[in-house]
Amino acid sequence: MSRRIFRTVPLHNKAFLVEWKQKPSDKLLEIILSFKSAIDKDAKVSRTVMGYQSLLIHMKEEIQNMSLWNEYLNELQIKIQPKIIDKGKIWKIPVCYDNIFAPDLIPLAKSLKIEVEELIQIHSKTKYRVYFIGFLPGFLYLNGLDKRLHFPRKKNPQLKVPKGAIGIGGRQTGVYPNESPGGWHLIGKTPISLFDAKQKKPCFASPGDWVSFEPIDKRKYYELKRKIQKDNFKMLPNQ
Amino acid sequence: MIEIIQYGIYTSIQDMGRFNYQSYGVPVSGAQDQQAYRIANQILNNSLTSAVLEFTIKGPKIRFHQNTFIALTGAKMKAKLNGVEVDYYVPIKVNEGSILEMGIIQNGCRTYLAVCGGIKTEKILESRSQFKGVTINDRIFKKTLLPIDNPIFNPSKGARMISPSQDYSQIELEVYTGPEFYKLSKIEKENLFSTLFTISNFNNRMAVRLKEKFKNEMSEIWTAPVIPGIVQCTSDGSLIILMRDAQVTGGYPRILQLNNSSLNLLSQKNTEDKIRFKLLSRID
Repeated sequence: MSRRIFRTVPLHNKAFLVEWKQKPSDKLLEIILSFKSAIDKDAKVSRTVMGYQSLLIHMKEEIQNMSLWNEYLNELQIKIQPKIIDKGKIWKIPVCYDNIFAPDLIPLAKSLKIEVEELIQIHSKTKYRVYFIGFLPGFLYLNGLDKRLHFPRKKNPQLKVPKGAIGIGGRQTGVYPNESPGGWHLIGKTPISLFDAKQKKPCFASPGDWVSFEPIDKRKYYELKRKIQKDNFKMLPNQ
Repeated sequence: MIEIIQYGIYTSIQDMGRFNYQSYGVPVSGAQDQQAYRIANQILNNSLTSAVLEFTIKGPKIRFHQNTFIALTGAKMKAKLNGVEVDYYVPIKVNEGSILEMGIIQNGCRTYLAVCGGIKTEKILESRSQFKGVTINDRIFKKTLLPIDNPIFNPSKGARMISPSQDYSQIELEVYTGPEFYKLSKIEKENLFSTLFTISNFNNRMAVRLKEKFKNEMSEIWTAPVIPGIVQCTSDGSLIILMRDAQVTGGYPRILQLNNSSLNLLSQKNTEDKIRFKLLSRID
């Protein structure tokens, strides 16, 4: 039997965690996604939630026998480890990097000792992987920010970051799906909604998908904004 | 319809919660004290998922625009219907035009008002619980009209509830070990269960922060799923207990997990109240 690469941790009598030991990576993401897709089909399971290294499993009824679950997960590891299951959809999120939407763009470029244009180019040329959704409704944890753009978050978080703001903080970049407090450096803004509570699937992106940022000018930003307000716009994945 | 004339300190619409959207980053929400919430609905023979109003510390003033029945449960605030004090944990008949005026908390922190058939605001993602970013507001801010169901309740046939004891003074919170508990040293574990902790003024529907610092040597973890009742521990030693509106993921070590009845009890605690953790053994 292959060596077990995860541990299980009960939280309470209707929920437990599966936690992997290895560092977050695309390979681990694919392992977690494979476990998730198998476990989601189990009639006893109510729902699952992902993290960088973990999968939270909520049961419909109280867990009677944890050792049965452990056996099942061991078998699952053998079955699904080798193959790559989900290649993911590709989403292009339009972003306006104009100064009016990017209060921290110039100071951040200065701090990183690169030109503003270069910062925008690196940020928008990268393909980011959606690892999971958390923090706020619709907040995508994106992996893949270029090392040249890593920069510590602000010492004093801003009380109000606007909806749609694109930020860089530490090793991460992402979109604020709603107005919230936040400590990231704001380098642009998207007119797109990352979260729509009126939809049955309130986020267009899923873990395993790819995201890139497409630079747009102010005119295009306002044009898209109008379309979205009129409900005349739908995000579609790229082929 | 019922009309909120004055909204009190923090009044919100809550139900059992929003269960199926955590993987989109949506908190569970729902009534903080699920036991008091459930009993309020049971008294009126409501469905167990009916929406109620949750009052915090001081309740609102409400005008009823139709005949109905109501039930009050949870923490006791003085409640006057048309100037006459009414009881908790019993169905109360209310006539069109009546005014219910809630006072300040006498014990506990949160009071529940159920109406016959439940509050009928729009369901969003399968729930009526208010949470900002999902519903428009996270609470009722101003004069508001709320739709309610037509009364079908007949008190002569309705089940009578025996009023459960409302002892919120109990200080022990029952906990299981959390995922990062094993990282604590023996002395840290001893301190965790022997310390009498105080609830700080940072306590709301998202989280309750404790005043006393808990010295520890743990580092942050890779962002991982969390649920209500988890006790997080920051590197500066703050203990944060997650409540129903908590984020669905977090990066602090998760050292303990409250059971449901302790989570209900904690939601009835106020700033400066004392608590102590009591470790339960797992059934598995």
